[in-house]
Amino acid sequence: MKLLDKAVSIKNHEITASDNLENFYNKIKRRNPDINAFLEIKIEEARLVADKIDQRIKSGEEVGKLAGLVIGIKSNINVEDFKITAASKTLENYFGSYDATVIERIKKEDGIIIGMTNMDEFAAGSSTETSYFGYTDNPAAPGRIPGGSSGGSAAAIAAGLCDLSLGSDTGGSIRNPASHCGVMAFKPTYGVVSRQGLLDLAMSFDQIGPFAQDTGGIAMMLDVITGYDPKECTTIDWNVPAFTKITDLEDEKAQDALKGMKLGVVEQFLEVSDDKIVNIIEDTVQEMGELGVELVELSFDYIELCLPTYYLINYVEFFSATRKYDGRKYGYKIEDVCGEEVLRRIHIGSYISQKEYSGKYYNKALQARSLIRKEINKLLRDVDAIVGPTVPKLPHKLGTSLEPMEMYAYDVLTVIANLAGIPAASIKAGEVNSIPVGLQIQAKPLDDAKILQIMAGFHQTL
Amino acid sequence: MKCGLEIHVQLETDSKLFCDCHTNYQEAPPNTNICYVCLNQPGAKPYPPNQEAMEGAIKIALMLACDIADDVTYFLRKHYNYPDLPSGYQRTSIPIGYGGDLNGVRIREVHIEEDPGQYKPDLGVVDFNRSGIPLIEIVTEPDMNSPEEARTFMRELIRVLEYSGNARGEGTMRADVNISLEGGKRVEIKNINSIKGAYKALKFEMVRQKNLLKRGVKVTQETRAFLEAQMITVSMRLKEEAEDYRYIPDPDLPPMMAEEEQIEGIREKMPEPPHIKTKRFIEEYGIEEEHAKVMTSELELANAFEEVVKEIEPKFAALWMRDELKRVLYYNKMSFAESGIEPPQIIELLELIKDKKVTTKAAQRIIENMPKKSTTIKATTAEAKAEALSPTIIAEQMGLIGIADEKNVLKAVKKSIEENPQAVSDYKEGKKEALNYLVGQVMRITRGKAEPDKTVKMLKELI
Ligand SMILES: [Zn+2]
Repeated sequence: MKLLDKAVSIKNHEITASDNLENFYNKIKRRNPDINAFLEIKIEEARLVADKIDQRIKSGEEVGKLAGLVIGIKSNINVEDFKITAASKTLENYFGSYDATVIERIKKEDGIIIGMTNMDEFAAGSSTETSYFGYTDNPAAPGRIPGGSSGGSAAAIAAGLCDLSLGSDTGGSIRNPASHCGVMAFKPTYGVVSRQGLLDLAMSFDQIGPFAQDTGGIAMMLDVITGYDPKECTTIDWNVPAFTKITDLEDEKAQDALKGMKLGVVEQFLEVSDDKIVNIIEDTVQEMGELGVELVELSFDYIELCLPTYYLINYVEFFSATRKYDGRKYGYKIEDVCGEEVLRRIHIGSYISQKEYSGKYYNKALQARSLIRKEINKLLRDVDAIVGPTVPKLPHKLGTSLEPMEMYAYDVLTVIANLAGIPAASIKAGEVNSIPVGLQIQAKPLDDAKILQIMAGFHQTL
Repeated sequence: MKCGLEIHVQLETDSKLFCDCHTNYQEAPPNTNICYVCLNQPGAKPYPPNQEAMEGAIKIALMLACDIADDVTYFLRKHYNYPDLPSGYQRTSIPIGYGGDLNGVRIREVHIEEDPGQYKPDLGVVDFNRSGIPLIEIVTEPDMNSPEEARTFMRELIRVLEYSGNARGEGTMRADVNISLEGGKRVEIKNINSIKGAYKALKFEMVRQKNLLKRGVKVTQETRAFLEAQMITVSMRLKEEAEDYRYIPDPDLPPMMAEEEQIEGIREKMPEPPHIKTKRFIEEYGIEEEHAKVMTSELELANAFEEVVKEIEPKFAALWMRDELKRVLYYNKMSFAESGIEPPQIIELLELIKDKKVTTKAAQRIIENMPKKSTTIKATTAEAKAEALSPTIIAEQMGLIGIADEKNVLKAVKKSIEENPQAVSDYKEGKKEALNYLVGQVMRITRGKAEPDKTVKMLKELI
């Protein structure tokens, strides 16, 4: 059942919010101990919310856009009274004291927040293996990593443990696990969704976005969480499109929207990817061509610059952001209890932000970032979107030991959107040996709706 | 010696720099004016910078004759680890104004910062009420050549800040001073909280460094702390140990740009700075420098003076306002604004004197009563208040109207001589004070309506 239809059914009282919640809760009870997608569940509170929604619907009252839908939230987004741990021992016992702007909006639209999902510690990872609370299994490819850092949110959707979930994306942390788990996910243009209440990884890259099984779900959540926030300076004041309208079309109409669109394929994005992944992406692109899409070959000469640029900025901003975890206020001093990767980033960030090196590393990285942004926007000028693989490698088996550079290599295709601040999404394109492979769609800043249009049109062909 | 200053003063705003919390941190119980933003709790982002604070900073920079940055300005994160800093970094803007001047001391830059909380090491507690209150920092070039010059500059600077109406006074001031003597390196002194403290620290440091140099000991570049209670400075750290703040532009606050229109709007509305007003008063009204300085000591007083001189001869007005009005304000520990006295009342009183309707002595008693009236009257309308404070009405109520004619003064003089033979003989023996006593008696008899100089003349003639 499509999520848009389910939302209507709940409003029509064909399905109750309470039944929807109990279904998921039973599934969570059954499957979460193995998958470890959720770190914390608050069923009693969720039941009260669901019950109230049902009563309001019964008495003919107006209810919100997300009424009765069950939602999981990444553990780095503040929800009052939930444990906001960022999957770190540092914040092991930290309770959110306020709602992030996205959470305020979800609650206002009557979404039911059931729990907090697992992630890489402080979102610094691409596998969800660095969580202090243990790894998350990939429901679509058991025994393999779900990707990360929003691995819990992706796995929760893949295993059908909730209707919708939120993640955060700094260098691919939404799109990467979506690709590995075979679900849909969307990283909006930087500034389209308020970061107020999102724990920082790298402030100039971080962006919150949704996971769902279908484009209708993505659209519904975007309709709720996007928009200017007067209390968050980096949000953009613009005419937010009605995302749900774009996806709520008859199948043929959705496909019609693809006709005449120009989609770019970047040669270098395929070159850095595994052959088996490239095969699937090429087949998918071929299919799109048959739907009337015009394909354009593009070249991007700066791909080798992307990872170093991204990580240098990430280290410095993360170092700055973690200074508050000094052991005086939140239990533990971060350096005393954090994992290897978090410590590595803090140390390198501290090192390269020293006065004597600032010109050498950080300022150069900022310059490189401007260059990458300019070049990507140049490529996007002549096409509606760029399509290609989301992740260049298949997810490794849980427990495999990887060198940091091998781990970072997962991100090479996703960091570009964060460096450039552009919107990007991942949608399942196919499977290699039953392991999902995602197609990434990237567009110009504020062309978020166009990406959704492509997703909707393409989704119908699957 | 050469001395430069870095002076921080809180800006006067209702809410903090990056959140909606109130700024009355001294009145509020500890840790009540706080929210997740000014506590920098995990996930919290700053709200857009308080526009009142930003405009206040631009106004102060303009009053200090600074150029306003025509490029984008942005906030930096200055990292350091201290219990009063909830995020581990302080947000500080790049210069908003630069290249200014105040009485020959060059202003290097003016920028805006957020105040940290208040840490009490002895109790091990932090009060975050102050965290996030906007500060303005004014940095000078090392253009002062003595502790006295530094003190004069700071007094003048505080006056400019008071004039702006956008800054709090000396009470919120924190200063770092730097000093270098011929043949020695630059020493910075931190932890200074008053003009007097800055003066004492510089005095101490000057003597200390002179003694070192005299003995052939090098003065090394270092940072020292001022210990207010002992009035001495002690070494904090040497240059090699200088803290690295790892400045980065704050990614949560996008660059801003002050529009030309906005700057011009502020320039038009801003008050004339006191040091420039002083010069103008001397030139325009031909009054003495010392009088001009008193008239400009408070913006409201300066404005009142300019109203008064539309009707009254400036030199007379300045002299009387300095001697009599300031005396009464000083006695009541009030500013002019607090006294409730308005220019029309001053004009009325000075006209009463000029037209010889009251004596100068009577005028003193009238002005003495005006601040008292303004604090006790329960007038609800402006007209009622003006009437209650009218010098003519006060004079009538106190029976001070009129100047005694010669015949009556003579009568009173004679009476006072008759009734006070002791004073008369004292005076004859050369005790000059005895005459003052007799003048007082005449005033009592005439109810202050005799003119003092005439009375003295008559007494001398008759004795
Ligand atoms: Zn606050």
